[in-house]
Amino acid sequence: MSWDGMMTVATLELRQRVRTSKWPIVLAVWVAIIALVAFLSYWATNDADLRSGESMYDIVIFFVLGLAMLIVPSLTATSVNGDREHGVLATLQTTLLTHWDIVMGKLVAAWVISMTFLVTAMPFMAWAWFEGGVRGDKIALSVVVLMLVLAVVCALGLMFSTLTARPIASAVLTYLTMGALVFGTTIGFALSAFLVTGEEKIQVFGIPDNWYETHQPPAVDPADPTLTPEQIDQLNKAGQPTPADCTTFTRTVTLAHTERIWWMLPLNPFVVVADAAPSEPRKRGDQYSSGFTPLRWISLGARSARNGPSAQATDECAMLTNTGDTGFTDPSENALKTAPVWPYGLAFLLVAGSGAAVVAGRRLRTPIRRLPNGTRIA
Amino acid sequence: MTIEVQGVRRAFGDVLAVDSISLTAAPGEVTALIGPNGSGKTTLLLMLATLLVPDQGAIRIDGLDPVTQPTEVRARIGWMPDGFGTWDALTVREVLHTVAAAYRIPPDRARARTQELLATVHLEDLGDRRARVLSRGQKQRLGLARALINDPSVLLLDEPASGLDPRSRIELRDVLRALAAQGKTVLVSSHILTELQEVADRAVIVARGRSLQTQRLDDDFVSTGTASWRIDSLDLSRLTDWLADHHVPARRVGGGLTEVEVSGEENAARLLADVVRDGIRVTTFAPSQGALETAYLAATEDRR
Repeated sequence: MSWDGMMTVATLELRQRVRTSKWPIVLAVWVAIIALVAFLSYWATNDADLRSGESMYDIVIFFVLGLAMLIVPSLTATSVNGDREHGVLATLQTTLLTHWDIVMGKLVAAWVISMTFLVTAMPFMAWAWFEGGVRGDKIALSVVVLMLVLAVVCALGLMFSTLTARPIASAVLTYLTMGALVFGTTIGFALSAFLVTGEEKIQVFGIPDNWYETHQPPAVDPADPTLTPEQIDQLNKAGQPTPADCTTFTRTVTLAHTERIWWMLPLNPFVVVADAAPSEPRKRGDQYSSGFTPLRWISLGARSARNGPSAQATDECAMLTNTGDTGFTDPSENALKTAPVWPYGLAFLLVAGSGAAVVAGRRLRTPIRRLPNGTRIA
Repeated sequence: MTIEVQGVRRAFGDVLAVDSISLTAAPGEVTALIGPNGSGKTTLLLMLATLLVPDQGAIRIDGLDPVTQPTEVRARIGWMPDGFGTWDALTVREVLHTVAAAYRIPPDRARARTQELLATVHLEDLGDRRARVLSRGQKQRLGLARALINDPSVLLLDEPASGLDPRSRIELRDVLRALAAQGKTVLVSSHILTELQEVADRAVIVARGRSLQTQRLDDDFVSTGTASWRIDSLDLSRLTDWLADHHVPARRVGGGLTEVEVSGEENAARLLADVVRDGIRVTTFAPSQGALETAYLAATEDRR
């Protein structure tokens, strides 16, 4: 592979793409949709409790990824078999270009075009940043992750276009793969959740479940005017457990061990992008008011699934000894503080993308020994 | 820069496209590959163009094996496929510049070469038009220019004359002769036998994936090969009787013409002289088929 050869193919692809008139229209529709989404999310979330910066950012990123996953496959999914049908692939293969030049050139061209979609969405992300609540480095990270995810999508489409003879077949296969990654992983996770759910005995340190049954308060009306204040106090305490009542016992509970199946979630590009840059939870007084932040919900869902149910013996007595709710923390917010899951997902997608590019390269190698059914050479 | 093909075989699944083809094409010569549709010509050219691996047999282009040394072979060949497709959105000049870049020709040299080739194939005035608007014949000419861009020493042309108007065909003939004169090896597959007879030095006849015979097309062949001649006469019945008396194989064809089979121009001239001497008024005496055509029809006769 050489730089010049790759650029020759990339230039050729881009030139053809730019001259066919439908791409500017697609780009205009794209900008219009993203702008509409950004404006609507701005108006919908523009109040003090639902700070619009975070929500806008989440919604815009969500749409950019979703729409890009619809548009980008069409850039490469018919690239190679379309060229074969037009009889222009073999004329490149008989030149000094190698099969890697052709594959990488096509990949680079498709990626550059998908970048123009990302770049036109940038002003709306900048707007979210100006609204506040989103850190610049988070935006940068999610854009980088988006760029890599789109490159993987391009590579998958390119691979399918080398595997099938007809462009329609490779387009369908590419969209099916996108569907498997986005919906398949989520559905797979949900369906296999029952396989890892079961009744288990766990150690609990706290008030035994039968404490209330064995400690029935005496059948005396506390409103009885004949009782002394000491007696009323004793009566009240008799119905309430104290830390002294805490023991260690075994309880049978239903647990879902999602830590065994969590790996399905980060295969989803949405989880990868969402988890790479969840917006910070914002504390308002004592309460969390994070507003409409789909990326953060996806992120904490994936991380909670990875963490699974707590393995330690639960200490329920702590709630009795502490006064107030100072010791209590929201488990989902705790999950956001644990290690991220997106590096696994991104690593998987990058391996899949590189594998797809290698397959595509091998399929373009000439001279061909075995010709797949229905494929024409020139 | 010789092309040598030795017992090459290639099947696509159950379909045997090329059974056993052997041929030699020498530098400085135009070698014609002729045969009926589906006889394996295009498949053979794909193998020569380093796109397809033969199942059996050996190919050597300038001593190089297209299977193991494709890059070296590609640098030396120019291939023009049958039904040349092109990047419709690019202009004619850009198509040639792109192909030149694919051959790693520096841009300034590519521009000069493009200009030169556009003149050769008479597409100068269409240089800045989109390839989409070209007619089939013009596309074929662009395909020829594309195949010549890297100044190849071996030229493989698959049906180059299809879709060309008569003037373009004559020009193609001149281009091919000029290339052969420069010492290049030219292998051209075609159906248009009369054209080939004028341009080719040698013809390889293939049918059903086999090379049947190699025929030199020099003056000797033309003057000795069996050919059909058409005779038109004002004394039709007398001519028929005369031919029957002299045991000349003849048959009546449309329009009152009589066709005779004569081997060699010498004999044809003698026949004409004899007929005229015996007082039969001949108005037309002309070859109806070229010698190549006759040879081709004889070689592929079993197809019926």
